Amino acid sequence: MHPQLELLLELQDLHTQWRALQDEPLREVEEAVFALRPEEARELLGSKITELSDRLDPEIRRRYLDLVATVDRAVAPVLSGICYGCFVATPTAWSSEACRNDSIGVCDHCGRFLYYVD
Amino acid sequence: MQLRDFFTLDAINLDLASETKDETLRELVGLLGLDEKSRGILFKMLKRRENLGSTGIGRRIAIPHCRSLVVNRLRVAFGRKLSGIDFDAIDKKPVQHIFLIVAPPLEVSNQYLPVLGRIAQFGKEPDVPERLARIERPEEFIALLEEKGV
Repeated sequence: MHPQLELLLELQDLHTQWRALQDEPLREVEEAVFALRPEEARELLGSKITELSDRLDPEIRRRYLDLVATVDRAVAPVLSGICYGCFVATPTAWSSEACRNDSIGVCDHCGRFLYYVD
Repeated sequence: MQLRDFFTLDAINLDLASETKDETLRELVGLLGLDEKSRGILFKMLKRRENLGSTGIGRRIAIPHCRSLVVNRLRVAFGRKLSGIDFDAIDKKPVQHIFLIVAPPLEVSNQYLPVLGRIAQFGKEPDVPERLARIERPEEFIALLEEKGV
């Protein structure tokens, strides 16, 4: 897997966690069952997100920041040839390198980074 | 929705080899049959969740959980270590029974939260820790879930 894509996946997962702690149902479960303090947790996650995004290559970072400012997810999984960010088919002529996640692919339609899931 | 529908026998390990929390997380992730890179990413995410606060809920039960892009559907696993693992649990006691829950960021049927809630509810049943400790085969674990109607 491309190291920058790996970083993007981590960032995406952290963002998901950060956002989830805003949502009432999960927030309640985390507080009630796991005694988590959501605001403190979000602050820690935010610091980690900043730290990791600083490790992205400048061009990738720029696109990543543009995406997180405008869409809910900067990285979208591709399942059965469909980008799960915009639900449009990705080109059928994708290289095997892209399908192994060895390069950074971007959806032609929505611009999200793509991650191929088996 | 029944919890038993999410557990497969090969994702139940009643005799974990792990001695530490990190080893336990890795061993449980290993039960999901993912590739090496995905396992590594998932382990990191679970660790990050643990760093926010332990998922050891007391009564010798832990429920590590997260959402991650590396899975394409909700996955669960169960592991048991009768000698106990230090999980920094709420009650500070070692953990014996560990339920792993992982889901993609986007689920059509949105099962992550209900599954998390049901496992927590199952773990709070007074006799469950003891019953889990007595189980000898994975099939008995599934039968216990069915008996409890979760």
